[in-house]
Amino acid sequence: MDSEFAEMLKVSDMCYLCRCGCCKDGCPMYAEILEETISPKGRNAVIRAVLQGVAEPDERVMRIAYSCLLCRRDEESCTARLKNADATEEFRRYLIEKGQKPLPEHAVLIKSLENYGNPWQEPKSARKRWARGLKDRRLVPGKTHTLFYVGCTFALDRTLQESPRALAKLMDMAGESYGLMLEDELCCGSTVKRIGDKRLFQKLRTENEKRIRESGVKRLVTACSGCYKTLKQDYSRLAEALELLHATEYLVLMVKEGKLRFREHKAKVTYHDPCHLGRHTEVYDAPREVLRAVPSLSLIEMKNSRELARCCGGGAGVKTAYPELSQKAAIRRLREAERTGADTLMTACPFCVQTLSDAARAVGSQLKVAELAVFLAEIAEKGSGPR
Amino acid sequence: MIDPKLRDEVREQLVKALGEPKVLWKKADLLPYTKDTYRIGFDEDYKHFPDFVVLPETTSEVQATVGIAGKHRIPLIPKGGGSNRTGMLVPIHGGIIVDTVKMAKVLEVSTPNLYVTVQPGITLKELEEHLAEHGLALNQEQGSFKVATVGGAISTAGFSRKHQKYGTIADRVMSLEVVLADGRVLRTGPKVLYTSTGYRLQLLFVGAEGTLGIITEATLRVEPLPESKDVLLAYYDDFWEGLGAAEKVMASCVTFVGGELYELGADASSGAPPDKKVAFCIAFEGTSGEVRAEVEFVRNILEEARGVLGGREEAARIIDGYTMRWCGERALLDPEDEINAYVPMERLREFYEKVWSEIVPKHGIRPVPGSRYGLDVGRYRMAYSRLYVPEGEQGWDSYRKAMSEVAQLATALGGSISGCTGVGLKHRDDLGFEFSEVALDTMWAIKRELDPQNIMNPGKKLPPRGVRNRQ
Repeated sequence: MDSEFAEMLKVSDMCYLCRCGCCKDGCPMYAEILEETISPKGRNAVIRAVLQGVAEPDERVMRIAYSCLLCRRDEESCTARLKNADATEEFRRYLIEKGQKPLPEHAVLIKSLENYGNPWQEPKSARKRWARGLKDRRLVPGKTHTLFYVGCTFALDRTLQESPRALAKLMDMAGESYGLMLEDELCCGSTVKRIGDKRLFQKLRTENEKRIRESGVKRLVTACSGCYKTLKQDYSRLAEALELLHATEYLVLMVKEGKLRFREHKAKVTYHDPCHLGRHTEVYDAPREVLRAVPSLSLIEMKNSRELARCCGGGAGVKTAYPELSQKAAIRRLREAERTGADTLMTACPFCVQTLSDAARAVGSQLKVAELAVFLAEIAEKGSGPR
Repeated sequence: MIDPKLRDEVREQLVKALGEPKVLWKKADLLPYTKDTYRIGFDEDYKHFPDFVVLPETTSEVQATVGIAGKHRIPLIPKGGGSNRTGMLVPIHGGIIVDTVKMAKVLEVSTPNLYVTVQPGITLKELEEHLAEHGLALNQEQGSFKVATVGGAISTAGFSRKHQKYGTIADRVMSLEVVLADGRVLRTGPKVLYTSTGYRLQLLFVGAEGTLGIITEATLRVEPLPESKDVLLAYYDDFWEGLGAAEKVMASCVTFVGGELYELGADASSGAPPDKKVAFCIAFEGTSGEVRAEVEFVRNILEEARGVLGGREEAARIIDGYTMRWCGERALLDPEDEINAYVPMERLREFYEKVWSEIVPKHGIRPVPGSRYGLDVGRYRMAYSRLYVPEGEQGWDSYRKAMSEVAQLATALGGSISGCTGVGLKHRDDLGFEFSEVALDTMWAIKRELDPQNIMNPGKKLPPRGVRNRQ
């Protein structure tokens, strides 16, 4: 079989040799449904059976393949450290390439990406709406040093547009030279990569990489954890060509360089590690470091944080395909945050903000769900030189 | 698999009783339930599908399932975490797997009386976390701790690393609720640790492997969390030198939590001196004064027995490495399996010499490097080793014969075939080495009385009549 499915073959065979099921400990989807099939071990058994011709890749197999959040929490519990998420992502691609139709819930996203270059059925021109008043920030090829790559969800979801505005404000305050692609910004392709549409992902990646490279920027900053993971790990050459930073890493830099500081703020905050930012790209310290730069802020860790953080339930197309399970996972995470006694649940990913905010509304939680840049923009001041 | 027409009828009845989401019947959904972690024959892969998997949440849903199975004489296989290593969960006759993982509630924590009552599907890890919030502990720790359920541990008579001080799960069970094969609910007795009244029915279900009924509630003895914990590690030249130290520690008056003696294998990260091949780890818990004194006392014994002491961090690393060997490393190796016989201390050398010098070479089997010798030190001593299962049908036959000879040897030396993982399919036909005809007749009489239709996990645990008398 094609070497691009190597991980899927390896993981399903190795898992079958062991079958201990330790992955179930911590798998957010298994925790909600408690069916073996909806666990990495069970899914690996299904993958192996399909590859061996024991099971047909039918509708149920498709549903099983798309029941994974690709969050990698299970890999922390797997003693052999099998890359179950990569195997599942490959399996999705395998199924699509073998002629299976995407789930109807995902077909809508794919169609939108083909037509508009974003998964949210918004015209290309809508991408610049969030940035009204920032028109002078249009990227100038060859001149702009830092590209603020906003990403589809922050740019197009009206409930989240405060975030890119907040990060822009922080960059302005820090006196940074940055530019925006506005309506010319294209989806990074994270959504289609995770749901297995290789053809469309490659198309988006090629075009996107071309636009970024031609802009001549030296640094790319994004506040979206999904975009960050995709640009860093799935655009193999881009990360070598320019400095690629998540907003949290960038803000730490601004604070260290003395370009930004924060007013005293008495808040009890707990931080939720987004899977793409945490386990996938191992950015654990930057968000905590920037929060610790806020005088009087108390940062309280949840029982499961950093590598062991539970997924919010919003990833890898699961929220679209399994909304009820996704919400249960989000509520479980929210409850964990509530138990810390914090007043604010902070995170740094549009999907985590969306999913956890929806969960908080659904259960009437008193906990305020906040995006990091939005929170910091309220209390930021211009810095006075290096610390 | 049952007749397709009957299958439709049974599905309808199960769905009516439990609701659609708690009944699995599509092939893809059944796939992960075709095997536990037992190495069944290579030609048996994907051969044994259950007809259904049900996921009850209450005792009455278990009763309803048992009622339907009884009416149609369909096998029932109770399941917990699914990590069993002897094939007790393999649906060799099809039937209904009763997965108890949705029955995971903690029903009562009694701090004054030191017990907890739970549904059977809670994992040992979840239960320990819950109890810790009350300042209590069950103290059952094993390789499958993250996934093994209380019901599964009881049904398998599971082992615990903390056996010397706290015993195994068998010592923790105070009372059980069990759905019997005729659908009635049996409460084995009051929630008391000690009584001199009725038969101790709860013990009948310890290690019964789901062949007598389905456990739906368990009351377990718990202990207050210790004030202090510590661990000692000593390295030895070889297993036999380490065994000498273990004998001395066992002969002392110290009640340590548990001790493990094992080969270090090729793991250079252990921090062991280069000429030392074996590590002996001993855990202690109690009041801080008690632990300090015990550690001091045992440290002297270890050193007198020519041990070279290691640090706490090294000990933690070695213990983690040990977990890796018995869990995740299985994914990284060729198919392998284990011996976990209970062997009297004074016959251990004889046992191992015969296993590795006679039985294993005769059948062309290779040991897993670094896993030839191992011992759980204490009253519940268990000798463990790992070996590769040879490839092909002939290899499988050789492996089966070798396992049978190891069983015969362990019992001939006055021990037991398995001190940990139960019987299932793996040891079923060898039980006649360990038990007399009268003992097996008695077991079958109990089985027939409680399960006259033989629907409770049929074909497991007890040997069929033809292979019974092997002593």
